[in-house]
Formats: sequence, structure tokens, C-alpha cells
Amino acid sequence: MLGLAIDFARRFARNRAALVGLLLVIVVIGVAVAAPWLFPRNPLRIVGRPEIWPFVNSRYPLGTDSLGRDIAAMIAYGARTTLLIGLCASLTATLIGITVGATAAYFGGWIDEMLMRFTELFQTIPNLIFVLTIVSILGQKIEYVTIAVGIVTWTPIARLTRAEFMALRDREFVQACRAMGMGNLRIMLGEILPNALPPVIVLSSLVIAGAVLFESAVSFLGLGDPNVSSWGRLIGDGRTLIRTSWYICAVPGLAIMLTVLALNLVGDGLNDALNPKLRDR
Amino acid sequence: MNRIVLRRLAQVIPLVLAVIVLNFVLIHLAPGSLFDVMTAEQQISDPAMLDQLRHTYGVDQPTWVQLAKYIWSVMRLDLGFSYRQNAPVLNVIMDQLPATVILMLAATSVALLVGVTAGVLASVRVNTIWDNLISLAAVFFFAAPSFWLGIMMTVLFAVKLGWFPVGGMRTIGAGNGAFADALDVMHHLVLPATALGLFYAATYARVMRASMLEVFRLDFVRTARAKGLSPARVVLAHVMRNALLPIVTLLGLQLGTILGGSVVIEAVFSWPGIGSLLFDSVMSRNFPMVLGVLVLGSLLVAVANATVDLLYLRLDPRIRAR
Repeated sequence: MLGLAIDFARRFARNRAALVGLLLVIVVIGVAVAAPWLFPRNPLRIVGRPEIWPFVNSRYPLGTDSLGRDIAAMIAYGARTTLLIGLCASLTATLIGITVGATAAYFGGWIDEMLMRFTELFQTIPNLIFVLTIVSILGQKIEYVTIAVGIVTWTPIARLTRAEFMALRDREFVQACRAMGMGNLRIMLGEILPNALPPVIVLSSLVIAGAVLFESAVSFLGLGDPNVSSWGRLIGDGRTLIRTSWYICAVPGLAIMLTVLALNLVGDGLNDALNPKLRDR
Repeated sequence: MNRIVLRRLAQVIPLVLAVIVLNFVLIHLAPGSLFDVMTAEQQISDPAMLDQLRHTYGVDQPTWVQLAKYIWSVMRLDLGFSYRQNAPVLNVIMDQLPATVILMLAATSVALLVGVTAGVLASVRVNTIWDNLISLAAVFFFAAPSFWLGIMMTVLFAVKLGWFPVGGMRTIGAGNGAFADALDVMHHLVLPATALGLFYAATYARVMRASMLEVFRLDFVRTARAKGLSPARVVLAHVMRNALLPIVTLLGLQLGTILGGSVVIEAVFSWPGIGSLLFDSVMSRNFPMVLGVLVLGSLLVAVANATVDLLYLRLDPRIRAR
């Protein structure tokens, strides 16, 4: 087991860009975790004069926004929101995707046909419009945004899981399990899933990046949860001041970009490490 | 060939039907019915009046009757009445739809043009500084939120340099002649289309590079070279044409995302499309409008998807044989 882990780490580390990405992700996680210690008071509280540029006042290293709130504090707390929503949405999407994909491939026939039509339906609906619809109907809560993003991002995971299960379901070891009288659920979860998981994990890690982008778009439009600090909302709030203080938009945008970039790079690295066959392509 | 076209178009119908049912479920998920919102907005509180309205809108009937009625009315393109604009939902959406379609088409063109060119360039000069620069740019544009890119481009090109307008679709009071109008719209279109298109350009560049490199190794390319074709002709007429197939697949898959992305970009550039309409309707909880946009948006994507599939058929004759 340890040998496997070391082997995995070595293959991951061979991809330099993935290491840089991992470092960035760790930094973002660190900032998110340390936010309450770095900025003990409410980040949405007004601290000083509005529109102080970054690097001017050492008390507010990233400046203040149009209301005089500390941008650095909002970025730190925004990292929590972003990571939490990204992770939970990706988890939701992975759960739905694996359930749909695995069921479709394992049982085949009309169940497969029906579930794949269902997947196609969700691929056809314009995803952001669907998220906005759900949020407008259920309300502007962080949980609903998360679920909505999960609901629109599960289709690629379902398709991939289905393809993996298709390739595995008639293999000898599965037939052996059937002959032993194992239940369908146990074969699916205990036997096939572990073998099908590596590429699915890679895709889920990429879905986190997509979810972060979705969340930022929703809160940029002002439809996110108004009670939590979020990078997207910071950009949306700063948009009216682009003539004088464009840095209010630039700073959180850079944070989103770097986070998504890092997550993508880590995803690529995981792909190299988990699918060694594909590496040399 | 005609039969294939018809069969593909027929697949759109159950899809749209499913969207309608989904819509109906969403309406019923809403806390406080559509009816409550409607009466609250117009401040109706008289019980007799409420009963009468309840009957008019069919809220007092069983759910399955409501569903059947809803499907029937959407089938007749009756998406309901928007009490906010005081006009049928369909008319309001149809007024705004052309602007969104123009933006989508322009963004897709930018994405294809930039992405394919960058991908071809990177694959022809593989493992050189060009290749690395293009890959780096692709990684960055793939991670940047399009709305942020739009704002940053506005700051640079509209506010600081003044080359392009900050937002809107037409200059107010400029209307003289169709040609001048088209030029004016195009001038307004540059920034939003680029902001939206660059994300997809990044994807296309990466896929195009990989797929070009794959095709370069095939035998027919060696044959083309051996019969003395110029390198440019081999790349453009033989390799690129075959390498384009994955791009077409990707384009079909991403149409829904592009429509979603245009909603955000429209908010950034105050582009008068269905994005602005949707945003306004979500804010005012104007559900008939929101759901109308969802149905028509899905229909648009479904039809566009079918078109892309048929385009694929035209590009790759091997599929027709099956």
C-alpha cells in the first residue's frame, strides 16, 4: 500500500505543472482555513475609507472596496465559500453521475436507454440558465446554489462511469462474483466501482474547477447567498466603479483564475498518475 | 439522407417534452405558488377576485390536469402571459432572442477562428516556443471567468483606450441605413464576443493541437507529402480537415454552455438579449418568463445540436455508410 502511494506520488510529481498547481491549491486551502485567525472579525464589516488602492495602506494590503470593506479579508473568507461550494457541488455531481452511469451500464436494456435520454436532457438544458432558474425558485441560499451547480455538472461523470462500467461488467471477475451469488448492489459498489473509479476521480477534480466558475458567475450576477463573502460577488459589487477603481474587480478575478488554474493543473497531474497508460499520448 | 435528417429532428421532440415536464415540476417546487407571486405583485386581496383568478388560471384543478394543460399550451407556443411586461411571454422573448443569437454566433466564430488557428500553429511548430506560448495562453484563458475577462477588457479597451463602446448594442440616435447599423452593432459586438469566445478558444486550441498531431502520423498524410503537395496544402487541405471532426463534436456539446455564458456576458455589457431578460425576471420572480426562457433556450440548443450532428454527417462520409 505504501509502495503504491509512493509510486503514485512519484508519477504525480513528474508533471511539474501539477506540482505548481498542488502548491497553489494548498495555499488557497491554507488561506481558507486560516481566515478566522487572520481576520477575526466579520469580513463584511466596514473598516476604513472606501476605495483605498492595494499596496498603499499596509493595514489593508489589497485595498478597500466601494464601501470601505477590507478586500484581503473578503478574499480570505471568499476562499472558504468558493472551496466549499466547489467541493460539495463536485461531490453531488459525482454521486448523481456514478449512480446514473453505473445503473445504466450494469443493467443495460431499457434502463440504459431511459437513463441516457435523461442524461441527454440535462445536457441540452442551458446549464447556467438552469442554475439561475433553480436559485430563483428555491431561493438565494448557499445550499441551493451548491445543489444547482451539482445538478448541471453531473452529465460528463455519468457518461464516463457508464463507459467504464460497460467495459468491466462482463469481465471474468464479475462473472465469478455473480456465480458466487453476490447481490447486484454489492457487485456494483464493491467489485466494479473500485476498478472504474480512477478516471472518474480525475473528472470529478476537474468538475470542482467548473463548479468554482459557476458559483462565481451566479454570485457575480448577485444571485448568490447575500450573507457570505464570495469572490464573484466582490467582482459584481466593484463593477460600477471600473472607471476609477478597477482593482476591486481585478483582485478577486485573479483569485478565481489562479484557483481554477491550479485545480485544472492538479486534475491533469492526477490523470497522469492514475491513468499511466494515457500518459504518453 | 432525408430520412436521417428527419429522424434526427424527430429526436428533438421528446427532449423538448421532457424539458416542459421538468419545468412543470420546478413550478410546483416553488415555495409559494406562481399564483401567489402574481397576485402579490398586483396587490389583489379580494377573496372573490382571487377565486375567480384561481379558476381562470386553473390552479383549482388536479395536478395532472394542470400538467396536461401546460404541455398543450406550450405545444401551441403559448408560454403564458408576463404580467410584468404586460405582453405574452413568447413575444417578449422573441424580441430579445435575435440579440442573443447574434452574440452566440459571434462568440462561436471567435472561438473557432482563434482556437483552430492557435491549435494548427501549435501543432505545426510542435515543441517550440510558439507551441509553449499557445499552450500557456490556453491554460490561462481556460481558467479565467468570462465575465471577469469582459470587465478587464472593458477597463483596458473601452475606458482607458476608448477603442470600443462600454456596453449596449447600438449607439443611441445613430440610426441611418442598414449598413451603418450593421457596422455599429459589430463595433459593439467585438468585446462581448471576444470575452465569451476566448474560453472556448482555449479548449479548441488544446483539442485541435492534439487531434492535428494524431492525424499527422497517419499514412495518407505521408502519401500526400510523397506525391509532392506543398506543406501548406498538406496541413490545410488534408490534416486540418480531418482534425476538425473532434472540434465539431465539442462545439455541439458546448452550445448549451455558450448560451449560459452569454447570459453572464450580456449582464456585463448590457447587451439587450434574453440574458438581461432572464436576469430581470429572476430578480422579480417572474416565473412564466424564467421558464419560458428555459424552454426556448433548450429548444434552441436541441435544434442547434441536431444541426451540428447533420453537419458532422456532411464532414465525415464514413458515418453515412452505417
